[in-house]
This record gives sequence, structure tokens and C-alpha cells, in this order.
Amino acid sequence: MAECRDMPAAAVPHAAPAPALTRPGPFAPRRRPSHIPGQPNPAPRSPRMSETTQVPVTVLTGYLGAGKTTLLNRILSENHGKKFAVVINEFGELGVDNDLVVDTDEEVFEMNNGCICCTVRGDLIRIIGGLMKRRGKFDGIIVETTGLADPAPVAQTFFADEDVKRATRLDAIVTLVDAKNLPARLADSKEAVEQIAFADIILLNKMDLVTEAEAEEVERRIRAINPYAEIRRSTKSDVPIDAVIGREAFDLKRILEREPEFLSGEDDHEHDGEINSLSFEVSRPIDPERFNAWISQLLANKGQDLLRTKGILYYANDDRRFAFQAVHMIADGDFIGPVKEGDPRRSKLVFIGRDLNRPVLRRGFEACQVDAEGTV
Amino acid sequence: MSETSGGADFLLESRGVSRDLGAWVVGLAFGRDGSCGFGLGDGMVHVARPGQPAEAWAAAAAHDGAVLSLAADAKDGFLTGGDDGRLVRITPDGTVGEIARLGTMKWVEHVAAHESGLRAAAVGKQLHLFDAKGEALKTLAHPSAVGGIAFDARGKRVAASHYNGASLWFVAAKDGKPRVLEWKGSHAAIAISPDGTHVVTAMQENALHGWRLSDSQHMRMSGYPSKTRFLSFTARGKWLATSGADSVVIWPFFGGGPMGKAPTELAGGDGVLCSAVACHPQHEIVAAGFADGLVLLAEIASGKVVPVAAPGHGAVSAIGWNAAGTHLAFGTETGFAGMVDLSRR
Repeated sequence: MAECRDMPAAAVPHAAPAPALTRPGPFAPRRRPSHIPGQPNPAPRSPRMSETTQVPVTVLTGYLGAGKTTLLNRILSENHGKKFAVVINEFGELGVDNDLVVDTDEEVFEMNNGCICCTVRGDLIRIIGGLMKRRGKFDGIIVETTGLADPAPVAQTFFADEDVKRATRLDAIVTLVDAKNLPARLADSKEAVEQIAFADIILLNKMDLVTEAEAEEVERRIRAINPYAEIRRSTKSDVPIDAVIGREAFDLKRILEREPEFLSGEDDHEHDGEINSLSFEVSRPIDPERFNAWISQLLANKGQDLLRTKGILYYANDDRRFAFQAVHMIADGDFIGPVKEGDPRRSKLVFIGRDLNRPVLRRGFEACQVDAEGTV
Repeated sequence: MSETSGGADFLLESRGVSRDLGAWVVGLAFGRDGSCGFGLGDGMVHVARPGQPAEAWAAAAAHDGAVLSLAADAKDGFLTGGDDGRLVRITPDGTVGEIARLGTMKWVEHVAAHESGLRAAAVGKQLHLFDAKGEALKTLAHPSAVGGIAFDARGKRVAASHYNGASLWFVAAKDGKPRVLEWKGSHAAIAISPDGTHVVTAMQENALHGWRLSDSQHMRMSGYPSKTRFLSFTARGKWLATSGADSVVIWPFFGGGPMGKAPTELAGGDGVLCSAVACHPQHEIVAAGFADGLVLLAEIASGKVVPVAAPGHGAVSAIGWNAAGTHLAFGTETGFAGMVDLSRR
């Protein structure tokens, strides 16, 4: 992921400026970090462990009573032969004695002196640092968030901290939803909406309490907020463990390698809430410089309202596709395999966010295309 | 001395012992009895005595899980905290004794002790103090999780870093209020200068923050390419050696510094991060370990470097001197541990 430029973490460690630069106080006012999201041409990556050694992390969100603890108990007690470290924050509810369960207080703090995109979970940084020193590898780490948690700081922790980034990768944000009570929650809770907006996988739980018609209506409400999450129905959180863990559902590059059509499909959902999604498609190739300038500006100005942004881009004069994604202001991008024969080469960008202005976003994205032939 | 592939003579080969301990060396310390404890990521503590062959090191199963922190205990032996929520004492012969259980599913992340008998252990937001007998004295509460702890040289004060600053407590005070040193952000490693006049922390943002206690003057030392984990003052507090850059970065704490002064950089230039430092207990010499496993000594005045251990055994994660300054020990992330005899022969 790209970075706040104030964070040397994302720079190449060995080439960074020496500490000699600094004059310790008395201070000039601190410069605000500039936000420069992903470059279409990613800079050479800093040395890091190969991805196979990165431990996958599953983030489990969901409103109070949606079934998170039941799912955790199931994952921990099932005989699947896998070893998971679990970070919880509601001590006592978990009925499983497991030496890899860590009870922590969610501690959200802002890095870089109040930079919002760098809001991270400090407790996770400490715990993941500690877990990495243990002997023996885990098959995964599961982080349960409190019912009222905003998922953004958890997600951003995986990009803002150098040690966490080196040791782990975000596998998926899994949101549990109470099928019966979701409509009420959507009406009275900003967090419930955000948890759906952020999700890669949504477990529509407590299906035994609703009729098929009610379930369909709830799914429609979910789709209106986030049409890209996979929805899976369940009763008493009863799903196979591999439905929620080891899914590689956060990383757009991995998803597109698996499902090339992931972002396709028409944007015909009804929008009935404050948070919704918009998608745009353009047919001419994208000019990387124009796109970068526009999206940088957009994320810097509007990033707080843009929960997730995902895109697949076809650059002019490049036979590869570019996968772009952002969480609030933190953006990332990577080329994925060569364009296939017969691919219509339509670039697509989707936003999940608050108060999205469709015409403005459309015009902005359309202006990132190379000029049409015959025009100046 | 034997020749190595790099052409340098490494003291570990001629004057040292080493052993693969099989798990991440989380911390090490020389006890006040002279033995050296290595705390590991598999919950074991290995105790080495200068002069012993490495095969004779005692092993103690200290924690069910990982050792998270290790310090020399007040009189002899070691104090460790683990991810099993226990505070444990290890004697020089490797006997394990539990001092306290500080919470199920909680981690004892930081421990410290002072020769006066005081012991400290941090769990989440709380810092528990114990006396020489292991009796609980008091619990100091902080606004957020404790990122590092340090006693001052006399054992009168204990400092704990946390979010938005650090708290400095008088151990014997009745009123139970700390002096809060504020600075926005997350603070981890912490050090008090030997004369007790400065507190310095390492921050999440790859920078150090310092406070001059006499007038609360702030100091900000930045430019590091990665997080600083080791802060080590020289014996009389003239210099502060730090890890986190591709050289050993040493800040001057004299002549008005470090304000407005550039740091001295030692043993840099090959682009490998310095991952651990420890200043000699008497002389202005710093021992440093690097991310490629290289260990060396550097003299601050001359910048002269003496190689101690060759690269190749994992990033150096722990380093320390004995009180006399005659022995240096180090450990790495991959479980390699070594001890070198530097006494005159």
C-alpha cells in the first residue's frame, strides 16, 4: 500500500535519510503529512519476507449479538488441525480454554500527529509483534472487534505499521449480520452500516429466525451498501471454517486472479441509505498520470467518506491490468496478469462511501481516459 | 585468530562461546551475580555463566508460551514476563519461581528491577510494583497500554511510556499521581538518563521524543528509517546510542545537546539496519547488532570498529554487557546466542 509520505516505514529502509537531518526542538509547527495514494507504476518494493511467510489475519466484525462469539468458539473447538491465535476484547464470553487467546483493550490512536488515514490499533501492533516471537507458526490470526467498532483502524494497521506489514497480511474482513435485526440496526447504528460497507465476506446469520422473503429483503439492503461482498447464509454461525478463513478476499489482486469478473456487473442497485456504492466504467484506456493526479486529490479531500475504493484499470500502452484499492486515504495498487484475448478492456472503478456525488465522480473518472482518437 | 570469508577477525571465534537456542531471543541480561540469562520465544530461559562452555548453560522452562520481557532481578538471577500472564523469577542455577499471576489471557509485556529490591511488571495499562520478597506494593494505572518501563538509576522513580506521552512516578509517593510528560503519539521503548535529568522514548513514527525534566523542554529526534527499539545511555549519560538506522546513531547529551546538534553515526554505510545497541558500563564504547546478524563494538570518540560476530545467524534482537564490562552477550531472532570474553589477558 502506498503511504503517508511522512511515514518512512513505507520507504526503502536502507535508502532513507540519516537521522542527521533533524534538529530536535524547539520546534517549528509540524508539517502535515501529505497523502499520496498508490502510484500506477509501483516503486520497487522494499525488501520483505516472501508472501508465503506472512500470516493471514481475519478480522471479525459484527454488531452485538450477531454471533461473533459463537463463530469464534466454533473455530477454536472444531477439530480442523489448524492453529489460530485469537485476539478478543470481550473477556469471559469465550468458552474455550486456548493458550493462544489474547484479551486486549481496543486502543485506537492516530499516527503522525493526528493524520486520520493513519488511525491504527496500537494494541494489535503490540500483540502481533509478540506473536511473531513465539516458537511455531500459526495458520492464522483472528481479530475480533467490539460490536461498535469502526473497521477502518484495524484494516489500516496492516498498512501503517512496518512490522505488522512484514509479518502478516489482511486475509478478509468478515462481518456477521443478524438477519432478523439488521433492518433495525441499519436504522439506528452508523457502525452497523460501516461494518457492512467494509466487509469482504458477510455472514447472514440467524437464518432460522427469518422467512425467505425477509432474508431476501435483508440481502437487498446489504447489496445496496456493498454489492461486492460475498454473502453467505448461516444459522448459529454454522459455516465451514474455510468459508471465512484463508479466503484471500481483501487483496483485490488475488481476487482478480481468481475471479476475473469480480468487479463486473451493472450498477443497478437501489440506494436507500447514507452509505452506498457507485461504480463507473469507461472504454478508452486510462492515462496513468491523469488517474494518479485525480485519485490522489480525491482520496486526500474525500478519503474520510470513501470507505473502500476498488478498481481495475487498463492503462494506455500496457498489456497488463492494474488492480487499485484503497481504505479511506490509504491506497495500494499492483499489476495483475496480461490482458486476455477478447477482453473488452473496460476500466472500472467502484466506491463504497458516504454522500457520494455520482456526476462529479463520473466526470472525474472519465477525464482520466486518454484522449479519443481524432481529438486534440 | 581465524580468518573469515570477509577477511575480518571476529572475536566470537577466538574469545567466545555460542549456541543455537532454537527460538527468538526476546531479551537478555547479565544478572547481578554475573550470569547471563537469555529469554526466548518458546518460553525458555537459558542461563550462561562466563567461562562455561555453551553446552553447560542451564535451561529453565519459565513460561507456557513466550517470554515477552527479561531483566536482571534485584539481587541475583532474572525476572521474566510471559504471554501466560505470569511474572517469574529465575535463579542463577535455573530454578523457576512464580512471583505473581497477573491475568488470564493477559500478557506481561515489560519487566524491570532495581537493586534496592523493587520489581515492576507491566500488563496492559497497569504497572505492578513488587518488593524484594515478591509482595505486591502498588499498581500504577495509565491512560492506555504501557509501551515500555524504566527505573531511574537510584530506583526512586519509575517511568512508563504509553499513548500521548509517558508517566513518571515516584515509587514511594503516597498521593499516587505521576508527572505526565505529554507528546501526542504512541511511545514504546523508554530510557531515563543516568543522572535522572532526561526521559527519552521511541515512537511509532520512527522518531525519538525526549523531555528535559528541569524545564519540560521537548526534544524530537527523527529521520530514522525504522522503529527504534534500543535506547542506551553511556555510563555518565554523555551520549545516547540508538538502533533503527543503518548506522549506530548516537545523540550528544552535553554542551546543550541534543537540541540543535546532529548525531554521531558509527559503523554505517553498508545499508543494513542496526537492530540492537548497548553501551559499555564504564567506557564510551557501544556494542551494536545488525539485521544481518553482524555484531560489533564501536568507540564513540574515534569511530573505530571491532567486529565481534559475523553476519548470518539472524537479526540481532538482544544485546548486553555484564556490570564489569568484561563480557558481552547477544542473541538473534533465529535463536543464535553468543557470549564474548573481552577481559584483558
